[in-house]
Amino acid sequence: MFRDIWMTFERFLHSFGGMCLFLLRMLQFTPGVVLRRFRLVVYQVYNAGALSLVVIMISGLFVGAVLALLAHSSLEQFNAEDTTGIFAGLGLVKGIGPVLTALLFAGRAGTALTSEIGLMKATDQLSAMEMMAVDPVRYVAVPRFLGGVVAMPLLSAIFTAVGLLGAHLVAVEQYGVDVGAYWQQMQNVMDWEDVSEGITKSVVFGVVASLVAVWEGYNSTPTAEGVGRATTRTVVVTSIAVLFFNYMITAMYI
Amino acid sequence: MQFSRGSRSIFRDLDLTIRKGDVTAIMGPSGTGKTTLLQLITRQLSPDRGQVFVAGDDISGYSRLELYAMRKRMGMLFQNGALLTDLSVFENVAFPLREHTDLGERLIRNVVLMKLHAVGLRGAAYMMPSQLSGGMARRVALARAIVMDPALLIYDEPFVGLDPISMGVIAKLIRQLNDALGITSVVVSHDVHEIGEVADFSYVIADGRVAASGRPEDLKNEQSELVRQFMLGLADGPVAFHYDAPDYAQQLLGPSQD
Amino acid sequence: MELGTGLFALLGIGALFFLTTQTTGSDDFNVDDTFEVTARFENVGSLKPRAPVSMSGVTIGRVTDIRFDSQSLEAVVTFVIDSRYDEIPDDSDASILTAGLLGSQYVGLTAGGSPLSLEDGSEILFTQSAIVLENIIGKFLIGGTSGDETESEE
Repeated sequence: MFRDIWMTFERFLHSFGGMCLFLLRMLQFTPGVVLRRFRLVVYQVYNAGALSLVVIMISGLFVGAVLALLAHSSLEQFNAEDTTGIFAGLGLVKGIGPVLTALLFAGRAGTALTSEIGLMKATDQLSAMEMMAVDPVRYVAVPRFLGGVVAMPLLSAIFTAVGLLGAHLVAVEQYGVDVGAYWQQMQNVMDWEDVSEGITKSVVFGVVASLVAVWEGYNSTPTAEGVGRATTRTVVVTSIAVLFFNYMITAMYI
Repeated sequence: MQFSRGSRSIFRDLDLTIRKGDVTAIMGPSGTGKTTLLQLITRQLSPDRGQVFVAGDDISGYSRLELYAMRKRMGMLFQNGALLTDLSVFENVAFPLREHTDLGERLIRNVVLMKLHAVGLRGAAYMMPSQLSGGMARRVALARAIVMDPALLIYDEPFVGLDPISMGVIAKLIRQLNDALGITSVVVSHDVHEIGEVADFSYVIADGRVAASGRPEDLKNEQSELVRQFMLGLADGPVAFHYDAPDYAQQLLGPSQD
Repeated sequence: MELGTGLFALLGIGALFFLTTQTTGSDDFNVDDTFEVTARFENVGSLKPRAPVSMSGVTIGRVTDIRFDSQSLEAVVTFVIDSRYDEIPDDSDASILTAGLLGSQYVGLTAGGSPLSLEDGSEILFTQSAIVLENIIGKFLIGGTSGDETESEE
């Protein structure tokens, strides 16, 4: 029993260490890739970002709407419906926006990255690059990682903005909260620090989600089954890591 | 060139030499580590003990840069081609040029079309790898392998899963490229018949060592039982039909003890 | 592909801009040219630095510092006021008010009648402390006999 726990911990340390080293290796190549292979990075921003746009926007709209519904129905009891904007704003900007974006990102873009790299490995494409004296970390991993890191904060901002719009629709259009009150109350309570907390989170989540996706793909067992398992692991590991870092950053900002 | 390597699990005191300018075949039953041997030659793996020499140099001490310099002089054809799926045929062949040279766009175009012409696929230059048949993909990969004009070409199971026509095409290309470009070729295969037509010299590997070597005609007259079984494709022999198992009658009739 | 990426980046940057400018209210007082005024309060309640200073409902300044003076045993609140408003009578009255029943606290100025104006470094003498809800309730329960005055004027 105790042994099992230790073994699990050891395995965790193993992959955690591997991931950290992989991150360092990618960071080392980053300047070169940005300077000489900028097109690849742009393509991956498109891949990770533009293709997730619709999912993010629809989800954001509904999440914002639900927040407003819940906040409104509770606040109604205190005659404080005007503060619906505060709840929707703070909730979306500081927590829900970045976290849900990261989870959706893991499901949409992260799995795609993992399975793509896993399949490249399974079809010997990575070995072929090695044999052509091209480091696959440089050509395959780094552009995908950077694409995710760039796309994530933008996606998170879009999610949050659309969410506020959804909350606005429910609060103002449906329940008749005054437009001025909705935004004014929000603006009174929130300041730059709240927004920067949201941005910090989305950047950290972007690094975490992209790193996990690329690493899992790169280290997958090169078989159909192995790639499938790696894809599942991407979602699980990213989700846990994102929620963990969410707690850490929230605690740091309080 | 000379390769030698010793290892407990797959190879025990394997020692073989590949002559410059020849097409050398490496044959053997499945699971004898033929692909592993190629990975040793290209140092995708390192030997536990012993050395691998390429062009007279021991490659086990190479740094990453030296290794990449060596690989630029090697071409390798993977089992299923291993074309980069997000690039077109043209870009796949141009890939090593773009990565390692500063050639102008026009020059790259000419070189790529020349190499594609050599494998007969100039017309497919603007197709995507997913649109190619298995044989075509392998020919494109071959064009890519020779685009840097390597000194050594390595083929990993080039005939697996191809129809007889494609097989013939690949076999003809192996021979032609070897003679026309003056390169050294190493072909790993278990296809006895096709190998017999292209190889100058063959090694049969089994049980982690060289079981037989010689010109293809000589191998057919080889006395060793294992080599005979392999060359003639007999079901039972030194490589037993049955995987190691307890006594048949005893397992069926005896008390169950799983 | 370029089109999609461009659209995506534009949307993302637009959303970031929207979030930083439209959801935060801290930028409605962003004036470089200010003068500093202090006031002493017996109790500042939950007033925080950066809280607004308003007069007749218009934000004219911002609280920059709240300290405790261990000699007079009072809270010293420092705030800056936009230099455009340089004709506020120096006998004006500062009170700590609450925005709504549960809202955040701010400093409200009520004009006095003195011909002299507030200037950099002046101190507002007439102040009214924050209303502490517990004290009012306590007073109400005991029937107003408690000597603990929640409102005091100097």
